[in-house]
Amino acid sequence: MFNSLLKKLILKQSGKSKILIARFGLGIAIFLLLTAIQIQSNYDFLLNNQTNKDSIGDFLVINKVLNNETIGNTNIDSSLIAKLRKQPFTESVGILTPSRFKASIQSISDRFPFYTDISFESVPDSFIDISNSNFSWKPDADFVPVIVPNMFLDIYNFQFSISQNLPQLSPEIVKMIVFKITVYGSNGPVHFNAKIVGFSDRIASMLVPTQFIEWGNQYAAKSESHGASRLVIKTKDPSDPAVASFLKENKLDTNNEKLRFSKYRKIIDAVVSIAGFTGLIMLIFSVLIFTLFIQLNIANSKEEITLLITLGTSPLQLSKFLFRHFFPGNLISIVTGIIMVSLLQFTLQHLLQTQAIFIPAHISLTTLLTGISLMALLWFITIKTIRKYIYL
Amino acid sequence: MQFELAYIVPKAIADRPSVKQSEIWGQKIAFNKGRNIKITAPSGTGKTTLVNILYGLNKNYTGQIFYNQQDVATLTPVEFSMLRQSTWSIVFQDLKLFPALSARENIELKRTMQKSVVDTVEMEQMAAQLGIDAILDQPTGICSYGEQQRIAIIRALMQPFDFLILDEPFSHLDITNKKKAAQLIQAACNRRGAGIIITDLDKDEYFDYQESLNL
Repeated sequence: MFNSLLKKLILKQSGKSKILIARFGLGIAIFLLLTAIQIQSNYDFLLNNQTNKDSIGDFLVINKVLNNETIGNTNIDSSLIAKLRKQPFTESVGILTPSRFKASIQSISDRFPFYTDISFESVPDSFIDISNSNFSWKPDADFVPVIVPNMFLDIYNFQFSISQNLPQLSPEIVKMIVFKITVYGSNGPVHFNAKIVGFSDRIASMLVPTQFIEWGNQYAAKSESHGASRLVIKTKDPSDPAVASFLKENKLDTNNEKLRFSKYRKIIDAVVSIAGFTGLIMLIFSVLIFTLFIQLNIANSKEEITLLITLGTSPLQLSKFLFRHFFPGNLISIVTGIIMVSLLQFTLQHLLQTQAIFIPAHISLTTLLTGISLMALLWFITIKTIRKYIYL
Repeated sequence: MQFELAYIVPKAIADRPSVKQSEIWGQKIAFNKGRNIKITAPSGTGKTTLVNILYGLNKNYTGQIFYNQQDVATLTPVEFSMLRQSTWSIVFQDLKLFPALSARENIELKRTMQKSVVDTVEMEQMAAQLGIDAILDQPTGICSYGEQQRIAIIRALMQPFDFLILDEPFSHLDITNKKKAAQLIQAACNRRGAGIIITDLDKDEYFDYQESLNL
């Protein structure tokens, strides 16, 4: 009864449509702000989640751009390597060491007769993505472990085997085949057994343990070392536009496919910034309208409020009443904004799943906490505004 | 439960000669709970000013006023509201009703402002006793002043109180209604063990006064 009488006395009908528009605006503002945050969260999730992590994503093999000017001079000097190490996007840098000796590889089985000259490379162990394998070598080892690009097996299975009428081979079978590597040194050829221990997409090269390259280069090198000409870098986010621009600035090259996310990232960043900024501006205006609306309502009923307080109504009773009147509508706007972002996320999850991109079906904790913080902020502003004008 | 007035002089009338002859202004006196106190004064001597000072609406005075040893000037708005809901009740000279609300709503506002001590049936009985039961649902703005005065009296009786402050409460009532209203007020005070502080232009015998002071 008391509250309905307060409603009759204090709350005028004026500006009801304005407050509805402001609340609608608040809902949109919350939606835009939280969407911006959610997109960022999704992106971070895609970068850090194992399900999505493809091995080429985090590792980039880079070399000098090869053109008429750089032919014969493709070494990457140590100052550039040091500069690269200092870049914020670089987690670690590894130098690819090429074999500087003549070598060949051939099958020892008559069923798969092949022979080819070959060269190898090695990288520090931390850049190898073949786990559970002892990827090392000693001169008295039984065999030389080799990591082969997946692409080579694909070329064999889907081109070479068909053209040569040879059987297709699964990775498991290939790993069982023993090959013969021959290193041709000045003291004559040396033979080693070799086994393929894994397939990788990370580095498009025939990889052997560093010890084998070192041994071979010492035993049979045809030329002196010219320093590094290929590097592998580990980066948190290969789509970071800073990576692409650094490479371009320093005339370095990588497989551009690996940087394909860079341009998408720029677009996403722009969309996120625009959505976030628009949301923020709308939020500021909505809050401004609410505070003015509360102020206007209280000013319109100043006489009634003064009389109510004279008669014994507590300022706390009035504040509570006004808060209950003004806040729930805003709360509905915020909750609706959060629900809309959740629905968008749910829909996106379903759509992207068909593209083999996996994001969570629910909004991130950051998004939810931002939503809750905005609720708290609006709660605080509403209470402050009411108390400011009721106690005056 | 008592009001203690320590040398109170309203600044607005401090220079008037009547202040020097007053039994209240500039004096040290106390109003105790349960006593009926009549304050008589001609127009312009500050009856309404005194009522407003007692009720905490006027702070433009010298001296001090204490309620239960607490200086009224130091009370916060929330503390005032607690006193006005449970300890002090009032009938203003200008009544202070909400003209847009009906008589019933004006009374209900006070009845439900705090924990109710009077039920609706009892309220309606009071209205019948004062002859305003038929206009309970009329907007107060269209009621006569005499009717409004009775509405304000009933409103004042809707809450718990230790002191009922009445500022010329019967000025627009006929003699019969004055007596009825006085009986109603006295019964409500007796039930609460409360006292009356009433201001008026002339002496009267509507209540059994334990103290009578000239302002």
